[in-house]
Amino acid sequence: MTLLLITSLFLPLFPLSIVLNGALTTLRHPAARCAVLLLWPQLGIGLLSIAQHAIPSYFVPWALLTSGLYALRLLTVRDMGRWAGLLATSGLALTWALAAAGADSMDLRLFAFWFSLPHALMALLVLPLTRRFGAAYAGLQGGLIGHLPRLSGVLTVTALAAVATPPFPGFFGLLRVLHVLDWAGAVTVLFIWLTWGWAATKLLQGFVFGAERMESDTDIGRASTLAFAGMLGVFIAVGLYSTGGGL
Amino acid sequence: MDKLIVLLPATPLLSALLITLLADRSRRRIARLSVGFSVLTFLLAAASLAFYLAEGRPQWASFAPGWGSLYLDPLTSVMSLMVAGISLVVHVYSVRYMAEEAGYTRFYILLDLMAAAILLMVAAGDLVTLLVAWHLIGVLLYFLLGHNAMRPAAQRYAFWTFLTYRLGDLPLVLAAVLLYETYGTAVLPTLFERIAAAPDAHTVAGIPMLTVVALLVALAAFARSAQFPLHTWLPYTMEGPTPVSALMHAGIVNAGGFIINRFAPMFVHAGGVLHLVFAVGLVTAILGSILMLTQNDIKKSLGYSTMGQMGFMFVECGVGAFSLAIYHLIAHGLFKGTLFLGAGSVIGNARKHDGVPHDDVYTFVVERKPLAPRLPWVLAAVITVVVPLLVLGASRWLMGGDSVGEQGGIILLFFGWVTGAQLLFATYRLRVDSPWRLMAMIILSLIIVVAGYTLIEHGFDLFLYPDRELSERIYAAASLPLATFEVLVMILAATIVVGWIATYYAAANGRAHRGSDASPLRLAFYSLISREFYVADVYAWLTQATLGLSRRLNVWSRWV
Repeated sequence: MTLLLITSLFLPLFPLSIVLNGALTTLRHPAARCAVLLLWPQLGIGLLSIAQHAIPSYFVPWALLTSGLYALRLLTVRDMGRWAGLLATSGLALTWALAAAGADSMDLRLFAFWFSLPHALMALLVLPLTRRFGAAYAGLQGGLIGHLPRLSGVLTVTALAAVATPPFPGFFGLLRVLHVLDWAGAVTVLFIWLTWGWAATKLLQGFVFGAERMESDTDIGRASTLAFAGMLGVFIAVGLYSTGGGL
Repeated sequence: MDKLIVLLPATPLLSALLITLLADRSRRRIARLSVGFSVLTFLLAAASLAFYLAEGRPQWASFAPGWGSLYLDPLTSVMSLMVAGISLVVHVYSVRYMAEEAGYTRFYILLDLMAAAILLMVAAGDLVTLLVAWHLIGVLLYFLLGHNAMRPAAQRYAFWTFLTYRLGDLPLVLAAVLLYETYGTAVLPTLFERIAAAPDAHTVAGIPMLTVVALLVALAAFARSAQFPLHTWLPYTMEGPTPVSALMHAGIVNAGGFIINRFAPMFVHAGGVLHLVFAVGLVTAILGSILMLTQNDIKKSLGYSTMGQMGFMFVECGVGAFSLAIYHLIAHGLFKGTLFLGAGSVIGNARKHDGVPHDDVYTFVVERKPLAPRLPWVLAAVITVVVPLLVLGASRWLMGGDSVGEQGGIILLFFGWVTGAQLLFATYRLRVDSPWRLMAMIILSLIIVVAGYTLIEHGFDLFLYPDRELSERIYAAASLPLATFEVLVMILAATIVVGWIATYYAAANGRAHRGSDASPLRLAFYSLISREFYVADVYAWLTQATLGLSRRLNVWSRWV
């Protein structure tokens, strides 16, 4: 049981999830945040494999509560680094639903990966925004689509991937979760998914759309754009291949 | 044949990819490329319909076991042709209309992606592909409606649309999961075969599983097709570019009718849900029409008109006339697309000439013209009540409709009756030199329209539902108990006859205008309509309450 509680630090359950989000806030460099977002849940799944312990039934509602709480909080977060952290917490908490249903370690690792790679990329995107505007804060700049179309495009697609928009693998992962939950659980997860979408549109409206408030700056390079696009393309392909459509 | 199905959604997708890669080229080249691919898509859609007519049996093509499949059946071939056609018109229209707008290349990319997503939806051969396409349409529509990034109103209403569509996605996802869990397949043809073999095998909380799933599909359709109370997004999406409005009102908003038709074999086992669909459609049609009449903005008025038309489409589904709903969807798509694309010209003309006819007093006193005669009101009332009923009844009898078995047909007959009577009443009120001639011409037009409509609908039904047994079972599922139905028919018939006679009496005796004094009740009703039944206000309050809660939670947890 102790090991399970330690695991819930890594596959975040409220209030232990504060540790992950506290760490993400403390870490200043986006690359460090990106690394934490990618590795942290994988450590949790490793611990879960070691524990070899049946997951108590109350862990699933606890996970849903955590996921719902963080999804709700996401709606009013405007700092993109924090936003990525909160969304990752909301998504990763759902790993417990799969784990409780007896999914094997590989499935869990993949699921956690679907819900950490886009968030890690979001954390990375904080860097070009901070360099140009001093902060990655929704509503501070606005109207990026007018003078930074590449950065806007990459930001938009990454945000869509982060909120499990099909055909990104997060969506198929979510279908797997719905498959193992009961009625009430499935409806809760769907409303959490709805809230993620809402939060993503709020974030995009704060960055991509709206009136331009700053002088034009140089856009991200073609190479960076292709790197992001390529990574997301591969992400979709791998997701489609390994999830087999989710159902 | 398989390649044709794949090429249908792949062609606009390829166009979007090419435009992305050639983004730095001139606007004219990008537009030409996109329009060229649209023409190709339209030709492919026409070819797929021709191939289907030649082969006469559905085709299914898959890229992976159990998902990623496409299905070409009558519904897919008809819908593909309609979508590709409207998409082509919108592409051509946008070449010049959007020429001065920022983000021209982005607009064409999004337009092509939208065409690909809609074609994927209509051709989806399994639940997962259907879900992916269904959801992507909502996402792409958000970006198309918010194309003008500088207008806060465009962003606000694009967000409303996105959220409503997302809300509608939830029941469809749940329905897909339930169907897969119950029948062990996501492939649509196999799924429908298994449903037919074991329709009552499962229950959810004591309710037949298929009833629950049909209800979920209907809910998804309600959100997608702006049914009350999920309609608030539709009239406000006019903030988006006009070509997008045309595409949305002519194509995207019809998805509700499509999805109900796609799941027709399931609705056969969910008669209660069809009754709900009828009721929701009826309420939406009435409210949409009332709200349309009170608007002073042509695009918003067209938006509410679409809401009303979508209501009628659901009424048709609710009475079991599924193929009629598809015919309605196509007819509405074509005329509403035309109206939207021509809205600018109408506004331009209205600035020069308002087109409002002068009233009788003005004609007599200012223009010094004598008032033209009218038909005797009793005779006009009799013609109004009897002629549409005779025309509709005769056309139905000619088509061999089973008037007792297909209650849906009778209900639709009532709608036709009221509409035809409205047309004749409008004719009666006109002051013309030869009222008899005009009335005769209108009756002739009515006969042509009704006969044409009935013939096309009949042909459509035979084409979309070659399995006659399925078509009859849908009508049977939508039927009410015979005694209840007969009582309803009698009450409705009496109401219509008495209502029209009273209307004619009031019009002939000049009482139509006398009752227009602003009584408190009328004012209260008008204020209710002008606030659009406060539905949007309730949603705004809920949204603000949720955001307030989110803010408080973040403050309490110190943002970690």
